[in-house]
Amino acid sequence: MSVIAIKTLLFSVLREKIGAEQVTVRLPTPATGADLLDALSEAHPQLVPYRQVIRLAVNEAYAEADVPLQEGDEVALITPVSGG
Amino acid sequence: MTELDSRSVKTEKVWIGLEQQALAVQPAADFLYHGNAGGVCLFVGTTRRWTDDAETVELEYEAYVPMALKEMRRLADEAARRWPVVRVCLLHRLGVVPVAEASVVIGVATPHRAEAFEACRFLIDTLKQTVPIWKREVFADGRTDWVQPGNS
Repeated sequence: MSVIAIKTLLFSVLREKIGAEQVTVRLPTPATGADLLDALSEAHPQLVPYRQVIRLAVNEAYAEADVPLQEGDEVALITPVSGG
Repeated sequence: MTELDSRSVKTEKVWIGLEQQALAVQPAADFLYHGNAGGVCLFVGTTRRWTDDAETVELEYEAYVPMALKEMRRLADEAARRWPVVRVCLLHRLGVVPVAEASVVIGVATPHRAEAFEACRFLIDTLKQTVPIWKREVFADGRTDWVQPGNS
């Protein structure tokens, strides 16, 4: 079993709740976006109320939770956007 | 929040920008005017003071910059597929936007006005749903709130 380290970016309310702009999530492979969210939720329970409204982005594009992750991917947690 | 330099992409047809400074409408208009277009539709979103009984002092915008630029470019490209777009411009301000100042300038130039109105409407409506930019509202009573879509 190998482990990958995924750089995960946080913005707006999640950035405030967790207190960081970026966290590194270590996951056993094979790993998906959902696995990343599970791991992050366990480490940071403040995330749990937002789980249902978080969209994932992988390498600057929206992705479904079942997306496979690999070493070097950049993930971002996107809560409901409010530009404009 | 991290300090950002302005970020922009400009081609002959498309101008996308994320700016820390106040947005100027005239440069956007100048970019959009073109001999192949008969209509330019420009939308400017500004910070509004009142929402029901709550008084806003300022809005503060944050973005996932590289992805926001990509999504804005994707929107411009989609508008150009659906309407005969001659020029298109999407500019969003980041950081603090005080009351009555512009947070977003969206414009499109097309041969006829019906297409310009439709494309412009599509661009602002879709930007508000998909582009990774968030706003935090600072109220007169000192409260702050990350805005949830549906009440902006």
